[in-house]
Order: sequence, then C-alpha cells, then structure tokens
Amino acid sequence: MQRLLPAAFCVVGTARRPLTEAAFREELRLAVAQHSRTKPLNEEVWRSFAEQLHFVATPDDRGYERLRETLDRLDHELGTHANRLFYLATPPPAYASIVRAIGEHRLRGDTGWARVVIEKPFGRNRESARELTEILHTVFREDEIFRIDHYLGKETVQNILVMRFANGIFEPIWNRQYVDHVQITVAETIGVEERAGYYEQAGAMRDIVQNHLLQLLALVAMEPPAAFDDKAVRDEKVKVLRVLRPITADGVATNAVRGQYGRGFIEGVAVNAYREEPGVARDSRTETYVALKCWVDNWRWEGTPFYMRTGKRLPKRSTEIAIQFRSAPHQLFSREASEGLEPNALVLRIQPNEGVSLKFGAKVPVQGIRIRSVNMDFDYGASFMVEAPDAYETLILDALRGDATLFTRRDEVDQQWAFVDPIIEAWAAAPEGPPIYEAGTWGPIEANLLIERDGREWRKA
Amino acid sequence: MAQSLAVDTTFWGARVLGVAAVERELMRLRRALMAHAREQGLAAARASVLNLVVYAEREVHARRAAKSISELSLRHPSRAIVVLADRGAPADVEAHIEMHCHLPVADGATQVCYEQILVRARGDSRQRVASAVIPLLVPDLPVFLWWTGAPPVSGPPFGDLLGVADRFVVDSSDFARPDIALPSIARINSQAKGLFGVTDLNWTRLTPWREMITSFFDVPAWRPFLDSVSGVRVGFAVDMDGRDIHPSQALLFVGWLASRLGWRPLDALASSEAGGLLFAIARSDGARVMVRVRPRFERGLEEGDVSGIRVQAEREGQLAEFVVKRQPDPRHQTTTVLMNGEKRWERTVPLPSPAIVELIGEELSILGSDRTYEESLAALVRLS
Repeated sequence: MQRLLPAAFCVVGTARRPLTEAAFREELRLAVAQHSRTKPLNEEVWRSFAEQLHFVATPDDRGYERLRETLDRLDHELGTHANRLFYLATPPPAYASIVRAIGEHRLRGDTGWARVVIEKPFGRNRESARELTEILHTVFREDEIFRIDHYLGKETVQNILVMRFANGIFEPIWNRQYVDHVQITVAETIGVEERAGYYEQAGAMRDIVQNHLLQLLALVAMEPPAAFDDKAVRDEKVKVLRVLRPITADGVATNAVRGQYGRGFIEGVAVNAYREEPGVARDSRTETYVALKCWVDNWRWEGTPFYMRTGKRLPKRSTEIAIQFRSAPHQLFSREASEGLEPNALVLRIQPNEGVSLKFGAKVPVQGIRIRSVNMDFDYGASFMVEAPDAYETLILDALRGDATLFTRRDEVDQQWAFVDPIIEAWAAAPEGPPIYEAGTWGPIEANLLIERDGREWRKA
Repeated sequence: MAQSLAVDTTFWGARVLGVAAVERELMRLRRALMAHAREQGLAAARASVLNLVVYAEREVHARRAAKSISELSLRHPSRAIVVLADRGAPADVEAHIEMHCHLPVADGATQVCYEQILVRARGDSRQRVASAVIPLLVPDLPVFLWWTGAPPVSGPPFGDLLGVADRFVVDSSDFARPDIALPSIARINSQAKGLFGVTDLNWTRLTPWREMITSFFDVPAWRPFLDSVSGVRVGFAVDMDGRDIHPSQALLFVGWLASRLGWRPLDALASSEAGGLLFAIARSDGARVMVRVRPRFERGLEEGDVSGIRVQAEREGQLAEFVVKRQPDPRHQTTTVLMNGEKRWERTVPLPSPAIVELIGEELSILGSDRTYEESLAALVRLS
C-alpha cells in the first residue's frame, strides 16, 4: 500500500494443511482489510498484489518437491533469480523439520540469495538455542539468519540509537558519573489471553525478559558503535550482554523477583487469577511478573544499577526506559522550597504515547522560592503527525533488503540465555512458587523491596 | 435513594470505553485544538504540571471541584480525574465504572491546559475505583488527591488512592462531625511519613487571620504580651437558627495558637452554651488560659468561617486586648488594640476572597507538607 515492495516479487504460502490458492488469497485479503494501516483496502491495488500470492501444501516430501517446482517456475517467470526469503511463522517445535526440509529439497535455489526469518522464542534455554542454531547452520550461514525481535522494529526503540548517537548533548552524561540508575519497564494490562499453552511453558522470563528487556538494556547501555551497520551495532550490543553480571543461584533471592497475578480489577473490571485462566494448571508456578536488578560491569556503568520489570495484569500498559540522573551536588535551596523537586529523569516512552520527556525543577510562580518538577515533553504523534510503521513492516522490509542490524545474532541469543538460565533454574528448584500479586497492582510487594532496599523506588509509570 | 443514572455529557464530555480510548479521545481533541490554533497563527501545546484526583459522592461537589480546577487551568495546567461514586453501596445497582472526558478551554487560553476525565463509579465499586484511576494519571507529574466530604480512615478506594498521592487535600468546612473527622485527618497525617503532604482548605482560609494576629506581636511594645495571654475568644458563623454548627476552622485556629505558644491541655474540652466550646489550657509557664469558641449569626458569612478573634493578655497590671473582626461589604478586616479598655490602635485591611478556586489554587502551588498545619492539627487533637 506504500509502494515499498520491489517491482518483481511473489509470496508463496505453505502449510501442512491443504488450501486452494483462491482460499489462501481470500484469507489474506480479509486479514489485510482488517489490519492494514491504510484503509479502506484499495481493491485495484489488492487485485494486482493478489496475483502474486500462491499456495503450496507441504504435508510430506512430495509437497516440498512441488514447492520447489513452484518456486523455480515463479523465478523463471518473474526473473527473480532465486532470491528467496523463508519466513517461519510456525510453532517453534516445527523449526527443525522445516529447516531440514529446506535443505533436503534444495529449496534455497542455486543462483540468488537465501534468507530465513525466525520468530521468538528462539530456544527455551541456552542449550536448545544452540541446537537450533546448529540445525539452521546446516542450511543457512549466520548472516542469512534473521531472528526477529519485533521490539527492535519499533520506531521508538530505534530512536534510542538516534537520541544517543545523533545528538551531542546526551552521550557525555550517559554514564555512571551522572546517571544514578536506569529503570526499564514493560507493563501489560492483558492477562495470558489465548496463549496459555505457550505461556505455561515460557513465563515472563522467556516471553519478555530474555528477548525484549535485554534488547532494551543493550541499546541503552551499549558503547557508540563505529558505524550504523549490522556488524558494528550488534558487536556493541553483545559486549553489553557479555559483561552483564550473572545472577547466580545465591543472588536470585536479592536480585530477582517473580510473581503471578491473582484476582483483581483492571480498569474497573473484575478479572480472573492466572490459575483460573483456561489452559492454565490450577497449581501453576509459571511467573507472570519479573523484576531484576542488574549490573553492567564495565567502565561506563560501574556502580549504576539497571532495574527491569515486566508483568501481565499491571495497572497500565506502558513500555518505557527511564534514565534517572543524580541530584544536584549541592542543595542551594531550603528543604521546604525544594520539597517538590525530584532528580532529573529522561524518559523514553516506547509505547503507548511514544515520545521522550525530560524532568527538571522549575520555580513555581509565587512569592519566594518554591520548586516543582516539570516535564518537557516530546510527543511523536503530535510532532510528526504521521503514524509510525508497524514493527513487522520495518523488519520484513529490512530482511528483504538484507539489512540484519535490527535482528538478533547467535551470540546475542547465546548471551541472553546465559543470563536468564540460572535464574529460571533457581526458581524451578525453589520449594515455593511465585508470590501472588493482585491484578491491577504493580506486582508483588517483594518487587518494591528489591528497589527500596537501595533507597530508590519504582517510577509511577 | 436511587441516584440519577444519566451523566450530563455537555458538562462531562462524551462517554468513552476504557483507558486507552480516553487517551485516544483526548489526543484527538488536543490535535483538533492545536490545528485550530495554528490556523489563527497561535502556538499551541499541551501543558500539564499536575494530576488532580477529585473524589466526590455528590454530583454538586464533583461539579464544583471541576469548575474550580478549570478556572485555575492557566495557573495550574492539569489533568483532573473526577471520581463520582455512589453514596454507600446501593445493592440495586450493578457495580461498574463509566468514563467520560473532554478538554474545556479556558478564556484566553491558546494552550491545552486542562484535561477533564469523569470516572463514574456505580454501585459498590469501592474495589474498582483505583484500578480505573491509576492508569489515567499522567506519569511523572505530582498527584493531588482532593477528597470532598470527610474521608474514611482506611479501606478502598481511599487507601489505594492515597497510595499514589503526593498531596492530600480536604475541606474540613464540610465535616459534619469535626470531633471525629479532625482526629482522623491527624491520624492520616501521622501515617504519611513523608510520602504525602496533608492539607485542609479550611486552614488556607485561616491564613489572613493568622497573619493579622501575628502582626500585632511584631510591634516591639506589644511583643511581651504574647507570653502572658490569659484568654482567647474565637467566633464563627452559623445560620440563623443555629442548626448547622461547623467549628473546624475556629478549632484549627486554637490548635495553631497552642502549637506555636507551647500550650498544653489542662481540663478536658467542655461544651458551653449553644454549640460553643470551652477549653482550659496551660500556658508554657503553667498559667491558665481560657479559650472560648462561639457560634454567632452574622449576615454575609459562610457557615463555619471565623468571624472575629479576641486575644487578652495581662502583664504588669495592664490588660491588653488584640481584636480582629471581619466586616462585610466590601470585605475587610479591622484590627484593634485596646489597653485597659482604651483604644490604642485601629487599622483596616482588605480580606482576600475565600472563593474555593482561590483556596485550591493556593494549595496546588505547594507540593510538600505544611508543617505548621500538621503541628496545629496535632495540638488541637491533644487539646480535645
């Protein structure tokens, strides 16, 4: 709809179940009509696009052979030179057999490039992630593998890099000397919804922390890359993950908090406890909330903790990164005057209300001095008046172009699991399950203690 | 009593479904206003420095609060979340929450300064209110909680809302039973532990009285009398038949004197004639002070407002009387000093407007706790 696709291309759908080409096209048409950002659907444009939609069922080896024949024929017709992007939007257990089939049936083609896009979860621990990478490597080189973390496709996440590295004023204060601590929040109001089957096995740690939260952490903490390309950016991110201080079994009690939502109210409506959701075990120990205190052990961040939290059924949907600065070194104004003053904070709001705000103290216009913290706000929606592209649009287009900057490399995934695995194992070994928090609250009381022990508090997001 | 179920949408704005929809609707309205301002060559921006949560159980209170805040919007650009809850917990109404929002624009404003959201809580919604209010708060801005009527001591939604508040505002002039409500405010205050400040609009109304009384003792010749006060009389207004007695404001004044001058209780509080109160108090040197708080009918005064104060002091055979009186039309105060019954000094000063919009405006400019108020309230509770 935005004329971004190349002149010659086609989409070949494949699944184990049989489906006629017409039915496939109709399914897609309905989905596009419902979800496209440009509405209503332009039927003329759709008709031309739909001509390039094909479907081949692959229930067995013969199906894969037919798929290869179809691809070869389309390449010949369109002149696309066997440039092929494989997109695996399947449950993770199917990845291995599909990748093997791509290899065995020589679906890669002989002339053009081949790339594969893989959705999270990428493994369920370090070992299984490595196995999956090995299987992928039997068919694809690492630079042909595009592991999607859709957070990285979000405009505001990319804006972290722009904020930090296109501006001169932020980077000089982006370190332990000026930053007291960093808070990263990924809060959802929704519960487990339809995903109980997956979520029961995953939990918040695998669902959010391992990928999204650690990605945000890496972008905030990384050193300036030498170039904005896939290698330089990802090298710097991996360096952060590598020096992330491990939370060992002994440290879990003091540095990691989990929780599971109980009954409560969301926006005034009564909601069920996690264990009452369909598909969830009545005695489930799956965590729906995680809070962590992390340290990035390098020159820049020595002594500056990173607090991260994520959860379902929290009071408000909000993803944000807050850089909390230190207070002014010398308090010039009386205690009474500065009671409304809080330390400076730079808040990057990822969603909703995408934007950036800077909190600073200002004089209240009254006789005498009274100081109040105020916000200087940059609101994406109000400033640019355009809607940001969807994260998947950005990422799929990047994959077609072969730009892997915003995708997760194998060593990143490896380090991410290396960090979360010991915590998950410690929790699994603990005699008790996660504490229950009331739906509509900011998580279990233990999470407050985690940060209050250090004389700090969670932001009112 | 069944309450009207219809919400006046011309005042409260259109109904919206859910928090995300409120934000979308407000953003749509903001953009429309900004576009309109740009056409006229004006700069337009969203300005907001505070969140104000109003809790009311009567629509008239909710409206009065919303109107006051909207009049203040240029001084205190804000997001106001007005909670209007059913009184008690009517069993015949299903508990649920309804939301309405709009952007009333003040005269002469080119900026979006006031965002108003009504959270209408029906039936027994006590458990639900906070879950609807908290996600509506603008992050990072201080939260003022203005509780109309006497607050409960604990329980939802009071405790939950207090938990997110930086400043808690009540108006004790509405308290029907100050003997119960004022001590409970003092208890809330002692629980605050620096997490939030507490204030009372009735305390703000006392400011011109405290200023006048203090100013007497700035005069070097009269300063020594402050240590030898022997009697205090405080008058407060009642209606003609003297039915509704609201002595909170006058009592806070007594608490203030006691806390500043280090007075201690001597005899238990005794009721005196016609709704008045009598305190026997020990000065810091142990001498006895009689304090009388009396209702008086006076035209043109709001019930409960202090109408006059007389402080008596005896020293070296001289009887000094320091008198402040309120005069109607045009509003002013007269201050008089008498020595042995002879007038020594008289002065007339204007009296600031007691309009609620001025009072709340003053309170919204303060974020921290007001220690003088807190100590006065604590002293008052000790006296009674």
